Amino acid sequence: MDVGRHPNIRLLAYSELEKVEGEAGSFRATIRKKARYVDESKCTGCGACNEKCPTPVTDVYNLGLGKTKAIYRYFAQGIPSTYTIDATQCRNFQPGKKCGVCAKTCQAGAIDYKQEDKIVEVEVGAIVVATGYELFDARRIPEYGYGRFPNVVTALEFERFLSASGPTHGHVYRPSDLALAAKLPETEKAAQRAIKGLERYEKHFGLTSDAFYIEHEAGARTGDEDYDKWAEAIREFRRLDEDLRVLKEKVESMESAHRLAFIQCVGSRDIRYNRYCSGFCCMHAIKEAIIAREHDKESEVYIFGMDIRAVGKGFEEYKLRGAHEAGIQYVRSRVAEITEGKNHELVLWYEDTKERVVKQLPVDMVILATALEPSPSTKQLSEIIGLEVNDFGFFKTKQSPPLDTTKPGVFVCGCAHSPMDIPESVAQASSAAARAAQVLSGSEPMSLAS
Amino acid sequence: MNREVLVIGGGIAGIQASLDLAEMGIKVHLVERLPSIGGKMSQLDKTFPTNDCAL
Amino acid sequence: MSGNGKNTVPNAEEVRIGVFVCHCGSNIAGYLDCVALTEFAATLPGVVYAKNNLYTCSDSGIAEIQKAIKEQGLTRVVVASCSPRTHMPLFKSSCAEAGLNQYLFEMANIRDQCSWVHMQETEAANLKAKDLIRMAVAKATFLTPQEDIESSLVRRALVIGGGVAGLSAAGALADVGVEVILVEKEPELGGLLRRINRLAPRGEAAADVVRELVSQAESKTNLKTLLGAEVTSVTGVIGNYEVTVRKSDGTVEQETVGCIVVATGAVPFKPEGLFGYDGRNVITQIELEERLRDGPLDAKHVVMIQCVGARSTERTYCSRICCLTAVKNALYMKERNPDIQVHILYRDIQMYGAENERLLWESRNKGVRYDVYDAERPPVVKDGVVEVYQPLLGETEEIPCDLVVLSTPLVAPEDSPALANLMRIPLDQNNFYLEAHAKLRPLDFATDGIFLCGTARYPATVGEALAQGLGAASRASTILFKDKLVTSALVSQVTDRCDGCGYCVDLCPYGALSLEEYEVDGQIRKRNKSDKILCKGCGLCAATCPKGGVVVVGFTRRQLEAQVDALLEAL
Repeated sequence: MDVGRHPNIRLLAYSELEKVEGEAGSFRATIRKKARYVDESKCTGCGACNEKCPTPVTDVYNLGLGKTKAIYRYFAQGIPSTYTIDATQCRNFQPGKKCGVCAKTCQAGAIDYKQEDKIVEVEVGAIVVATGYELFDARRIPEYGYGRFPNVVTALEFERFLSASGPTHGHVYRPSDLALAAKLPETEKAAQRAIKGLERYEKHFGLTSDAFYIEHEAGARTGDEDYDKWAEAIREFRRLDEDLRVLKEKVESMESAHRLAFIQCVGSRDIRYNRYCSGFCCMHAIKEAIIAREHDKESEVYIFGMDIRAVGKGFEEYKLRGAHEAGIQYVRSRVAEITEGKNHELVLWYEDTKERVVKQLPVDMVILATALEPSPSTKQLSEIIGLEVNDFGFFKTKQSPPLDTTKPGVFVCGCAHSPMDIPESVAQASSAAARAAQVLSGSEPMSLAS
Repeated sequence: MNREVLVIGGGIAGIQASLDLAEMGIKVHLVERLPSIGGKMSQLDKTFPTNDCAL
Repeated sequence: MSGNGKNTVPNAEEVRIGVFVCHCGSNIAGYLDCVALTEFAATLPGVVYAKNNLYTCSDSGIAEIQKAIKEQGLTRVVVASCSPRTHMPLFKSSCAEAGLNQYLFEMANIRDQCSWVHMQETEAANLKAKDLIRMAVAKATFLTPQEDIESSLVRRALVIGGGVAGLSAAGALADVGVEVILVEKEPELGGLLRRINRLAPRGEAAADVVRELVSQAESKTNLKTLLGAEVTSVTGVIGNYEVTVRKSDGTVEQETVGCIVVATGAVPFKPEGLFGYDGRNVITQIELEERLRDGPLDAKHVVMIQCVGARSTERTYCSRICCLTAVKNALYMKERNPDIQVHILYRDIQMYGAENERLLWESRNKGVRYDVYDAERPPVVKDGVVEVYQPLLGETEEIPCDLVVLSTPLVAPEDSPALANLMRIPLDQNNFYLEAHAKLRPLDFATDGIFLCGTARYPATVGEALAQGLGAASRASTILFKDKLVTSALVSQVTDRCDGCGYCVDLCPYGALSLEEYEVDGQIRKRNKSDKILCKGCGLCAATCPKGGVVVVGFTRRQLEAQVDALLEAL
């Protein structure tokens, strides 16, 4: 919030850097402010457009766990609060189609289909890169079943499950159960349609379907095409009815996912993918486990890791709290494989290194701590600005002064620098600010040739 | 010497750097690729070890 | 942004309240009937205007408030929406812009404290929202106009501690034009780094880093260094701290500074009585560093034991850098003598991040052996041998060795409590300094104007300490580059009823209260005096005082009573 209002901060959201020239003390940067097709100065963020938009679109903020519309806001409390039209999804921008519902709905007259990208040029003395990270695609580890087994999710997806403003309003249900519940409305509709069909026959022939069916099976009322169709329709309905009954039972008896397994180092510390440690995932898993227990007193949580890296201030104590208060069981092991049963129940196969025995653990849900990877922006920016990248794919930096990239006057902080958690990112951000301020003051700080 | 700074990225690090610089009286241009700032942290429910709300 | 707009609204004394009920999209409106709430608000005493809108914090919402102030002659504004922490400053300054004193503004939190927490009980939630609005309106009736408090500041900083973090902070501050005084209690600069051999993960010599940092510090004309010196008292307030320093020659110096940076570091724990520590054949990592720095190592079989005196019942924390140090030293020894046997016994190997993890793999490739041990069955150091139960094998191994190195944690220096007391800053349960917020303000103290960096906060690597020093400099700069400091008017105010009993003085966590003497009819009397800049308006004094001798502006008895009465009206 403070950022949006600060008189010294000019916020260019939905924008991308295109070009940088010059050097420390006098850089010239060209930025493309992408068209939202919504006038920022008029949009009040009321959301009426989003409600009326006829085009559902995958919700990226909720990691695909829900839907939004072609005109959307990334998240409710986002700054700026202006809505944006995704031109790749909006009907109005596809050839031959015309929509315009949002423009009609908007009381502030903020929709502007003719809006164009704007090019902004700025002159600055220093540049701070804080482009963050992306997450490893867990489908690259097929033995964990991500993408095939609905009840295997990533840690960030699990965040959305835990969040009160997320797609399940904070309830931890197995995704396979949620999918069943989602099927209920359409199954009910299908059953209704079947009943309507039967009623037509009943009216036409003047007797109930049940009565007819008894006769039909006894041999009477046969030989007629209509009779056969009716009989088939009755069988069809009875199947549907049974399915519906079973489905309703399942949905009504649906419980939270009680037994959760967190698997650490998915794509990290892995000779096949990323050799480095992603820094915060051990702590992240512990936190998610503690919160899952807060939401569900019956939860049983296991965290599988090689080492549990709780190295920050207050972290070891938090890890112990997880064990004492939330009953987390820390298992030193690298899970070999996850298999799935007929009802999407999961089984973990792992070696218990304390007892030196291979074990199986049936669980309700598996949460994968996927590795942090350099953001795609890193490669783009390295080319645009002219920065070197190290073997891990992060920006190459000096040891001291820390945060200096290979180009003087350009500094990097946070996860764009290397894997780190929030306090470190915040502290580093202040450090980068200091470096930038030093450059603006024209000073040459200490540096070692490393 | 130019007294303005470009910050690329509107996640928690970019936001903090921008605020510090702005409070020092330096003008900041903060560029963010997504429609709003907040980054990954806006997708978190609560943060460790205090279990505070991430927003 | 002080927003001290001149009160151009006529009849400022007359109570004409405007209430604005926010939908907050569906955050509030999804659970509460905002239209009904607005209608209800309009019926409350003193309310002349009530409106609901979708997002009060949006440009159009603000415009509505400002328009209503002007057109309806509002003398008080109540917004029923989210938490004051979200948008209060925005609403207040908007009122000021429209000509209404910003302190004539009140909020009712019907989101975070109502709709968000009572999603399953909307009927009760609606009643609660009514209570909250009624309470806010009642309080607003008794609000009085106030002015922000302004004070001056000096663009000077004190850095306590001349190790890596302190030097980094001092240098950065000097670079941006701040006058810096660096106080170091040892006769030389460099801190713990002077005892270190090489740094991880890139292997540069610690001595080179120290030399470079010191020469940089010495080259800056606006950086004054006092060696062998200690801070003996700190009084005053942000912008004008009065610091007394006792120098090495015994003389005393007074300095006035705007901000203070604490970079007093930490010391390695000496594991007396643990694992047979004797300082000769069983040593600590720092003692190993000194040996490695001074010449080739005499040992052929080295066993390192991690977590000695850490992650235990006496000291629960993980000291973050000891695994890194052990691996670094193991690698160093292997590189110089490939035949040396190095065996590291650990519980979790804490090589976090990218470059550290790589170091781990490299050391494995070079033949350093790693074995895990369980906390319940730690290794036993015997003469010439370390006995360790290997959970992965289910067997006890006897590792022959001629040198055992114990990795011990960094602990807070013994004088931390004294310094903390001096500046009224808190320590955590391990005696490390406690920052304002673990996540979002890692380098700030809750006390304004004092900052923290390096191992004084928590064990850190040299790279991290350098960065934190820069960070603390940045944080201090956000204060030091202001023309003036502006603080809230909602602070304590001593009234005529104070009789100088002094109950409140010691209770104040910010040291904002003191007793002063004055004379009346030839008699010496005492009375409380409050420092409005130090005061944070926490209310402890007002709650304690039995006579109404001190109140907090904006939370007076009358205002609070009105709120309570309004709440109880529902019963």
